[in-house]
Amino acid sequence: MTGATQTSPTGPQAAPSVRQPTAQWAQGPAVPVVSVLISLALGAVFVLISGHNPIDAYAALLLGAFGSPYDISETLVIAVPLTLAGLSVAVAFRTGLFNIGAQGQLLVGALAAGAVGARFADLPGILLLPLTLAAGVLAGAGYGAIAGYLKATRGVNEVITTIMQNYIVVFVMHWLLQNGPMSAPNALGTPASAPIGAGAILPIVIPNEIVPLSRLHAGILLAIVAVVVFWFLLWRTSLGYELRAVGLGARAAAQAGIDPKRRMVLVMAIAGGFAGLAGMIQVSGVFHRVFDGFSAGFGFDAIAVALLGKNSPVGVALAGLLFAAFARGGTIMQSNASISSHLVEVVEAIVLFVIAAEAIVRAIADRRGTPAEALA
Amino acid sequence: MKRVLAFALISTFVVAACGGGGTGGGGGATIKVGLVTDVGGLNDKSFNSLANTGRLDAEKDLKVQTSVIESKKQEDYVPNLTTFAQQKYDLVIAVGFLMTNATWKVAKQFPDVKFAIIDGAPANDKGDSENLPNVANLFFKEQEAGYLVGVIAATMAKDKVGKATHNTVCSMGGIPIPPVDRYIAGYQDAVKTVSPSTTILNGYSNDFVDQAKGKEVGLNHISKNCDILFQVAGGSGLGYIAAAKEKGVYAIGVDADQADVAPGTVITSALKRVNKAVYDTIKAVTDKTYKSGDNFFSASNDGVGYGKLDAVVPASAKSAADQALADIKSGKIKPKDTVQVK
Repeated sequence: MTGATQTSPTGPQAAPSVRQPTAQWAQGPAVPVVSVLISLALGAVFVLISGHNPIDAYAALLLGAFGSPYDISETLVIAVPLTLAGLSVAVAFRTGLFNIGAQGQLLVGALAAGAVGARFADLPGILLLPLTLAAGVLAGAGYGAIAGYLKATRGVNEVITTIMQNYIVVFVMHWLLQNGPMSAPNALGTPASAPIGAGAILPIVIPNEIVPLSRLHAGILLAIVAVVVFWFLLWRTSLGYELRAVGLGARAAAQAGIDPKRRMVLVMAIAGGFAGLAGMIQVSGVFHRVFDGFSAGFGFDAIAVALLGKNSPVGVALAGLLFAAFARGGTIMQSNASISSHLVEVVEAIVLFVIAAEAIVRAIADRRGTPAEALA
Repeated sequence: MKRVLAFALISTFVVAACGGGGTGGGGGATIKVGLVTDVGGLNDKSFNSLANTGRLDAEKDLKVQTSVIESKKQEDYVPNLTTFAQQKYDLVIAVGFLMTNATWKVAKQFPDVKFAIIDGAPANDKGDSENLPNVANLFFKEQEAGYLVGVIAATMAKDKVGKATHNTVCSMGGIPIPPVDRYIAGYQDAVKTVSPSTTILNGYSNDFVDQAKGKEVGLNHISKNCDILFQVAGGSGLGYIAAAKEKGVYAIGVDADQADVAPGTVITSALKRVNKAVYDTIKAVTDKTYKSGDNFFSASNDGVGYGKLDAVVPASAKSAADQALADIKSGKIKPKDTVQVK
């Protein structure tokens, strides 16, 4: 978690050091780790109140998430979209924007990937897969850029626009799939698109003979690449430096000759691209078509993932894995230890609460501590 | 390949580590039953909660070991079914037609595990039904339940009981899928038989969740003189009932007994005893009478029926419904299963 933020103190790294107020420990992994531990402890209280043994509960949770090769592969399948959508939220955070729209951008990416993958189903994989990938990423990027553009030109709060955009895409999707141009007969019992061509499918990376019905697909490799791209973009390119500078203080950045408005549009496009990739991977890797109710909620969990991961690439990946383990493990905990899977939602909520509390404390400390903060 | 090797290593480690723990996998005679809900979850007061009731009853009476998994997303159906199958459960029950494709996928992969799916048959990736030797398809004769409540509605409309003064009855489906339309078909058949002069209207909310859409259809129906409204639309149908309540007319619930939703408005409910289907299927496994392929639950095996009657329902309507129930059981009445008034 710290690796990325604490590399060389010179060059582009000078920016964070301008903002010195917070104690060193709060910059590292200590806060997320402690907040997760506090949450698990508080969650244990709830388990006790409900008349179960917390140790049994957490043992079942852990085994459910990592207890067998199948469980591990399922946890990773969930971690992929969570991490990518988490990167989407994190990159916007780094530029001082709050992207609530990862869910909408994910769905737009999924719709575009599903449409292209089905429309050109006969193309060979070497053409179709990149085409589907590009469709998903670009559609997500375009959708994200709208919110960035409105913020930059009209000053419309991106929180509002991205929330609205989430609703718009859900209803457009409903229309497209139910009686619009993308609807197709299917066995899902719910409106869905036609399946994508074989060439657009991301292969399963674990053979069926070893883990039957494993769904772990090559999208996990794309997610790893995305984590590296995120790091490289923000800490190894001048654009990344500018984005972070805008995030630390838009007016100061403008003084330094960086136009914050253009960066806002750009970063929302990048954020949308990450989320769009998540949607594309869910289509190409997991379901091979789009349907109503597709991948509900990943984009919202992603906000928690980004916060817990402190918007750092490794942090987001680890937080994505943790939330995936919660999701998968919680399901199994319910079947094996008869404890409601909603417990994990309680724990997740407490994690968020503790992190938010930490942010509040730090904000107060910052305000007292440094006049430099006034720049932001 | 490294990845595969790592998984193999981890798996041996975990298996070894858990060997001593013993979380009940004794491998004795107890039969293990797993239930997977659809995205409606356990507290939907309908389909999933009824199925869970059947599971809990069976656990109590039949000394079987049971578990439930709530599906949070559509994507979860395959992994949730797989989880039970992998743990070598004897019977895995999928609740609802949303899981036809997932059941097909998983059941094919685990031929030694028995499956049951409520309201559907396994369907392959193309969407075609395909019976499997290890899947029991649990169907209901919804038209019989629809017929019974139709008799009650028609009797009240004909005799202008209470607020039912316009001799017009209505129904609303969610999406026109077969189980929904069978309810409506039976309802219309009963009204046409019992009271040919009664006007029948039907509509769809095109949704199973959105109450606002159901209410809109309900208000429209009431403006066209409907005073008995039969909902066949799950959550969306609650909006249909809400419209009846708001305008002071009558409604009929569906699947579960919905008398509590709006007392005084809901005069009865068309019951589909999913709990009975689940219980009987579990019992069939313990008795070794489990049968794959189509299994029907109807009036004759108490799989369908009508629910609690409100005080406004006259004795004449009750006796007419009971007579119809007896006639359906004896085969004298065969309710239609295709919708006549669209």
